[in-house]
Amino acid sequence: MNKPTCKDVMMHICDNLGEELNSPMCIEIKAHLESCENCQHFFKSIEDTIQFYKKYNVQLSEDAHNRLLEFLGLKGH
Amino acid sequence: MDEKELIEKAQKGDRKALTELVKIYEQTVYNFSFKICRNKERAEHTMQETFLSMIKNLHQFSGDSKLSTWLYRVVANHCLMLARSENKYGFTSLDDDEALIDEKHIAEWKVTPEHVTENNELKQILDEAIQKLSPEYRIVFMLRDVEGLSTEETAKIVDLSIPAVKSRLHRARAFLRNELNKRLAYE
Repeated sequence: MNKPTCKDVMMHICDNLGEELNSPMCIEIKAHLESCENCQHFFKSIEDTIQFYKKYNVQLSEDAHNRLLEFLGLKGH
Repeated sequence: MDEKELIEKAQKGDRKALTELVKIYEQTVYNFSFKICRNKERAEHTMQETFLSMIKNLHQFSGDSKLSTWLYRVVANHCLMLARSENKYGFTSLDDDEALIDEKHIAEWKVTPEHVTENNELKQILDEAIQKLSPEYRIVFMLRDVEGLSTEETAKIVDLSIPAVKSRLHRARAFLRNELNKRLAYE
């Protein structure tokens, strides 16, 4: 297998972030990542991006909850 | 009472069990709807339609998949239908991988999450960035990365092959990353 390039790594990180990194390709990717600062930056930037969206949540208000039960005809159950 | 029992009772017309199921999933459905619609009124409307659909079709639910997966699919379909019927947004094309992943500038990540405060301005930037993504990409990103579903579960919900999900996912991630880097770099 040819050694992966930074581009390969970036594409593959995108495919596999958060999944098991144990296939032969992934082992190569991991080795590349450990020694390539560029790819480490990219990996971290994708993780940060996901974290921003993970932390942005909205809470269902009591009013919206009541309107939902009303809409469904389930008020009082 | 566990979820399986609640579903069985609700399928037999037990309104108390049905209400209980709605209460279990209302927050998840509302939050996910908001993440796709990026608008609280639309999210509430989508949530209402999703549970109405659940009530109408619960008798068809076999239990082969999780109820949450089923609800995610209803939300996704509803949001796609809304977006297609309006079709007024100019979504960014993500066909060009070369433009999305530019090796020369990829190390330039100027955003430091610990220095970005949780405020309305940040929320607006996150909303604006994701609204440039077409709902087809947005839904995959939200299901897989934000809600934490597996690639397989995501593929089932959106009726796509696993390679197609991965392709949409890496493009959506790279696009959002680039957008945030542009907007949050000097915050």
